[in-house]
Amino acid sequence: MSDPLLRVEDLHKSYGDETVLRGIDFELERGDVEILSGPSGSGKSTLLRCVNRLTEPDSGTIYLDGERVSGAGTDVNELRRQVGMVFQDFNLFLHLTAAENITLGLRRVKGLGKAEARERAMEHLDRVGLADQAGSYPAELSGGQKQRVGIARALAMDPKLMLFDEPTSALDPELVGEVTSVMRELADEGMTMLVVTHEMGFAREAASRMMFLDQGQIVERGPPEQLFQHPEQARTAEFLQRITQLHGGEST
Amino acid sequence: MSYAEDLRRVRTREGRSVGSMVLIALGGLFWGYLLLRWLINWEWVPFGTPGEPLVSPETLGLTGGTATAFQSLPQLAEGAYITVLITVLSILLGLVLAVPLSVARVYGRWTKYLSLSFTELIRGTPLIAQLYLLYYGLNLSQFFRGLTQFGPFTVRTPVWAVDLGPLKVQTALWVALIGFTINSAAYQAEYIRSAIESVDPQQLVAARSVGLTQREGILHVVLPQTLRFAIPGWTNELVYLIKYSSLATFITVAELFRRADAVASDTFDYTAMFTVVALVYIGIVITATRLMGYVEDRVALPGLGQTRGRS
Amino acid sequence: MAVELTPVAAPLQGGLVDAASRFFLDNPDWGYVWSNRDAILDATVVTVQLTFVSIVLGFLIGLPAGVAEVYAPAWLRVPVETVGVVVRAVPILVILIYMFYVFSVSSSPFIAATFALGLRSGAYQSQIFRGAIQSVGEGQMEAARSVGMSKLEAIVYVIVPQSLRRSIPGFQNEFTIVLKDTSIAIILGVTELLGTAEDLFLQQNRTGTALELILAISLVYFVLTVTTNRGLEFAGDYFGVPTGENA
Repeated sequence: MSDPLLRVEDLHKSYGDETVLRGIDFELERGDVEILSGPSGSGKSTLLRCVNRLTEPDSGTIYLDGERVSGAGTDVNELRRQVGMVFQDFNLFLHLTAAENITLGLRRVKGLGKAEARERAMEHLDRVGLADQAGSYPAELSGGQKQRVGIARALAMDPKLMLFDEPTSALDPELVGEVTSVMRELADEGMTMLVVTHEMGFAREAASRMMFLDQGQIVERGPPEQLFQHPEQARTAEFLQRITQLHGGEST
Repeated sequence: MSYAEDLRRVRTREGRSVGSMVLIALGGLFWGYLLLRWLINWEWVPFGTPGEPLVSPETLGLTGGTATAFQSLPQLAEGAYITVLITVLSILLGLVLAVPLSVARVYGRWTKYLSLSFTELIRGTPLIAQLYLLYYGLNLSQFFRGLTQFGPFTVRTPVWAVDLGPLKVQTALWVALIGFTINSAAYQAEYIRSAIESVDPQQLVAARSVGLTQREGILHVVLPQTLRFAIPGWTNELVYLIKYSSLATFITVAELFRRADAVASDTFDYTAMFTVVALVYIGIVITATRLMGYVEDRVALPGLGQTRGRS
Repeated sequence: MAVELTPVAAPLQGGLVDAASRFFLDNPDWGYVWSNRDAILDATVVTVQLTFVSIVLGFLIGLPAGVAEVYAPAWLRVPVETVGVVVRAVPILVILIYMFYVFSVSSSPFIAATFALGLRSGAYQSQIFRGAIQSVGEGQMEAARSVGMSKLEAIVYVIVPQSLRRSIPGFQNEFTIVLKDTSIAIILGVTELLGTAEDLFLQQNRTGTALELILAISLVYFVLTVTTNRGLEFAGDYFGVPTGENA
C-alpha cells in the first residue's frame, strides 16, 4: 500500500478580501509527527482546521487514507470520526465530568453501550494519568488536566490522525510539561500527528518533520534539525531564532 | 469596550438603512395620524368632527368589520392617548419614587427593610390585583370625585381642562395612575438597585476620599453611573407599562383596549377591531424601544457597560 | 371656572376613610372570606394549573424557537423572530381576546387562556434560551463537531443541556410573570383566584368585603410566587455544575 495517510492538494482559503491559504500541498505518512510553525496570521491554524473541515476550504482536495474526504458527496462527520482534534482553549463540555466528556462521543457517534463506553473512557483517562479525576467537572481541573482530558477525548474515538491546535498556549508555563509529555508518548506509540505549536523543545525531540508557513504558503519543510540549523530561507531562520528565544529550546 | 468601538457602534446605529427609513416613515404616519386625531377630538383645529372619521368608510367602499374598525379609529385614537398618558406619567412618577427606594435598599439601615418589603410585596402580587385593591377594595375613585372640578389643569388654564379631558373626566384614571405608579416604582427600584450594585464600590470610596459626604458621593458619583446602567431595564419597564396599561380597562378606564372591546362586544367584529388595536400597541412599543435605543447611544460613556433588565 | 372644595371632602368620608375605618377600626369581615375558603382553594388550584400548563406549552414553543433564532437558516429564523417581536409587543389582554374570539382555539376559556399565556411565554422563553445558547460559546460546538457529531446532535447533547442550566435565573423570572398574569384570564371568565374573588364580592352583593377578599387572594399569589422562586433557586443549585468560563 502506497497511499500516504493524509494528502492535501492545492488548498485555498480566504475570508472576504483576506487570503489566508494560497495553494497548500503536502503529504503525511503513517506515524509522522509534523510541526506546523509560522508567525501569527501565517495561516497555520486555518490549515489545521481545514484538515477536519471545521473551516471549510474554498478549493483544493483532502485525501485521508487514499479516500477523498472533501468536496461534493463526502460526509464531514465521517471525516471527523477519523481525525481527532485538540483545542487551544480545551473546549471540554462544561456540563459533563471528565469521564462523560469522553463517553459522549463514544455513545452518540460510535454507538457504544454505556458500560463499554465507560470502560473505554477510563482506559484513556488512565493513559493520560487522570483516572482519579474521572468524576471531576472541567471547572474543577487545572489547565494541564483539562488539556489531558481533551487529548483523551480525541484519542478515545480511535482516530487515524490527531490534530493539535496550539495545545499548550493557554497553559501556565509549569503546566506545559505534563501535556507535552503525553504528546511525546503518543508520538512514540506511532500516532500520526499534525501539531501547531511554539514549543520548540517538543519540536526538536518528538517531531519527524516541520513545516514553516508564511503568508499562506509553505516556505520550507524538512526535518526539525535541518530547519533549526541549516534553514534555506532567511524568513525561516529569523522566525525560528525569535521563537526559540521566547519559548526555549528545551521543554521540561 | 474601547472608546473607538463605542463610537463605531453609535455610528452604525445612525447609519440608516432602507429598512429603518421605511420604519421612520411609517412611524411618522402613525404618530401624525394620532396627533391629528387628538387635535380634532379636543377641537384645537378648525376642521374635522370629534369622534367622526375624516372620510366615511362608505366613501372608501369598506364593508363589514373593516368598516367598523375604520369608523372606530377616532375612538381608538382617543384610547391611545390615555394609554400613552398612563404610560408616560406612571413611569416618570414611578422613577421619582424608585430612586429613593433603591438608594434606601442599598445604603439604608432600617429603611432597607422597608424598601425591601415594599418591592417584594408589589412584585410578588399581580398588577391587576393591585388595581382591584385600590378601586374595589379601597374605593379610591371616590376620593377623586371632587377633582372633576379641581384638577391641576383646571386651576391653571380652564381651556386645557376641557381639552385634555381625561384627567378631568374619569376619576378611575386617577386610581389607575396611582396603581401603575406604585407598581412601576417597585420594578424600577429593582433595576436601579441592581445597577447601583454593579457600580464599583471603590467609586464611592474615591468620592469620600476627595471630601464628598456619603450623600454627595451617592448623588454625584454613583447615581449618574447607575442611571446609564439602568437604561436597558428602563426600556423594558416602558414596554411593560405600555402593554399593561391595558389592565386599566378592568377599573373602567377608557384606554385603547376598552374602546375596542366596547365596539367589538356590540358588533362582534373582534378580528378587525383587535387587529387594529394590536397594530397600535406594536406601533407605540416599537417607537418606545427605538427612542430608548437612541437615548442609550447618546448617553453612552466609554467603559460603562449595561445590565439587562426583565423583558 | 369655579373651584369647589366641598365635593372633595364629602366623598373622602364615603370612600377611602370609610373603607379604611371599617377595616381597621370596626370589624373587617374575615368571616366571609373564611366561609368561602373552599372556593378560594379551588381557585388556587385553577391558578396553579393554568400557570403550569402555560409554562410547559411556552417551553415547548420557546426552546425550539430559541434554538432556531441562533442556528436556523434565514427562511426559518426570520419568521420565528418576527412572530416573537409581534407577540412580545402586544398586551396579553389582546392575545387572550385573539385566542378566544378570533382564532377560537377552544370554547373553553381555560384552554384558550392556556394557549394565550403559553404562546406569550414561549415568545419570552425563546429569548431566554437564545441568550443562554449564545453564552455557551462557539468552542463547545466545535469540540462536539470535532468528535464527529452532526450539528443537530451537538445542539441536543452539548449546547441545549448547558443553556438550560444557564437559563434557570431567567426562567425563574418568567415563571412568576406567568403566575401573576394568569389573573388577566379573568377577561375570559376563567374562575382563577381573582375571578373567584370578584364573583364573591360582586355577584353575591358583598361589595363591602372586596378589600378582605382581594387581600386574601393577594396573599395566596404572594406565597405562590415566593415558593416558586425559592423552589427554582433550589433547582438551580441542585442541577448546577461548576462552570469555569475557560474549560
